[in-house]
Amino acid sequence: MNDVKKTVLFEKHAALAQKSQIVPFAGWMMPLWYKTISEEHKAVRTTAGLFDCSHMAFLKIAGKGATDFLNNLLTNDVSTLKPGKARYGYLLDHSANIIDDVIVYCIAGDNFMMVANASNEQKVKDWIAKNKTGLVEIADLKDAALLDARVDLALQGPASAQCLKNIFAVDVSVLKPLSFVYAKNNSLDVIISATGYTGAKISFEIFVHPSKAALLWDTILEVGKNLGIIPCGLGSRDSLRIEAGLPLYGHELDGDFNVSPFQAGYGWAVKLQKQNFIGKDAIAKKINPDTEVARLKFDGGKGIRPIRQFDGILNTEGICIGHVLSCAAAGDKQIVLALIKKEFNTPGKSVGVYYTARNAGHIQQGRKEKVNLGDKLTADIKGLAVERFEKF
Amino acid sequence: MVQENLFYTKDHEWARIEGGLATIGITDYAQHSLGEITFVESPSLKKQLNTHDTLAVIESSKAASDVYSPLAGEVSEINESLSSEPELINKDCYGQGWICKLKISKPDTTHLMNAKQYEEYLKSL
Repeated sequence: MNDVKKTVLFEKHAALAQKSQIVPFAGWMMPLWYKTISEEHKAVRTTAGLFDCSHMAFLKIAGKGATDFLNNLLTNDVSTLKPGKARYGYLLDHSANIIDDVIVYCIAGDNFMMVANASNEQKVKDWIAKNKTGLVEIADLKDAALLDARVDLALQGPASAQCLKNIFAVDVSVLKPLSFVYAKNNSLDVIISATGYTGAKISFEIFVHPSKAALLWDTILEVGKNLGIIPCGLGSRDSLRIEAGLPLYGHELDGDFNVSPFQAGYGWAVKLQKQNFIGKDAIAKKINPDTEVARLKFDGGKGIRPIRQFDGILNTEGICIGHVLSCAAAGDKQIVLALIKKEFNTPGKSVGVYYTARNAGHIQQGRKEKVNLGDKLTADIKGLAVERFEKF
Repeated sequence: MVQENLFYTKDHEWARIEGGLATIGITDYAQHSLGEITFVESPSLKKQLNTHDTLAVIESSKAASDVYSPLAGEVSEINESLSSEPELINKDCYGQGWICKLKISKPDTTHLMNAKQYEEYLKSL
């Protein structure tokens, strides 16, 4: 516990959330929720929600060799990236295992910012250091001593553009996805990017110097009060991204089932026509998987046992065709992301879920702890396959 | 929030003992930690339980959590309302959110904490 770090917004969380709801996550003390997951989820779908993302990894990759270096490191093409634009892609090892999924922002010609998952920060830093050449400068942008230091708050949902307009007098509603602009007022100097992890059509991340993150947090909540903007924790971040169909490293990417970008539905971010990148030969062999990530919908809400990771997905004959990777409540429904046999992943197709044992008592009653493809089982709850992604 | 005149466990269950019957539930601390409760698996009637046997499973979107019996006895009544209104545990964990009643076989409560001891215990967490 001693090495669990506090983000620059920890005092804000401590003031707003119950102590027991602030927990270690990827090495950081983070809020699970402030009020309830369902209220925070709903806010992002109807008004907007503010998330502390300052625990994530923010790396500066700059210098003459930066573009070539990144282009060799990433599955997506960085060579065509213009200042003010960002691109999503993967860092792979030589066997095409995913090291992380990242977004790279082109700040200027030879100056990039890479945003990576907090849980993979060290792994990403080590991988970059190992593959780095002489013409590349790497810096940790969380280091407040740097003038160009950056951390990230996410403001997601329909009211977010109006809130940012009120603060910075800029119209960010016209920003295309994966684009960003600079904005400032008397006390804040930020980058606003049209990116996010909630599936909200109108959604932004605001990159700010760590010394100003608390001021930005307070300003957004103050200005956003009349717009219905509330702070949101990790719980709704997860339920929102699941509802939208977005993958999480360790669940829908890599993880126990070693899910590839092709299985996750992100083959477009792997540019096999590019001359070279690390892991290219190995990932080229994974282009035609027989299982893929599907989004499934089930009844949820009061009195219905929640579906969990590793539960079995069944076809209408009761044969296990896959496993649950993530599940979340969304209103009175449960949205499941599962790795299933491709031929069953058609919107509208009926599927079932087998609940694996939740405790020792269930095992004694004959319930399986683990299910395998091909097992014949009885569905505990029935639902439907839906479109892979949903925008809100 | 801790209530007087109840017995408590380190796993955050409470017991209200009246005559030979004990009403069992989970504490305010426990319901806060679980978040919005959406499902309760109640014990079956007449089930014989030893102290610390699994008595119920309470699930929120965050976690499935076992509830352990603070006392030994036989399940004599279960709170039927929880099957359609599991959120009663969030709303009123010491009242309408009770889980079941046990006909207790041993009136021994020396392994349990009183309200004051439980409050001290919570501070130590």
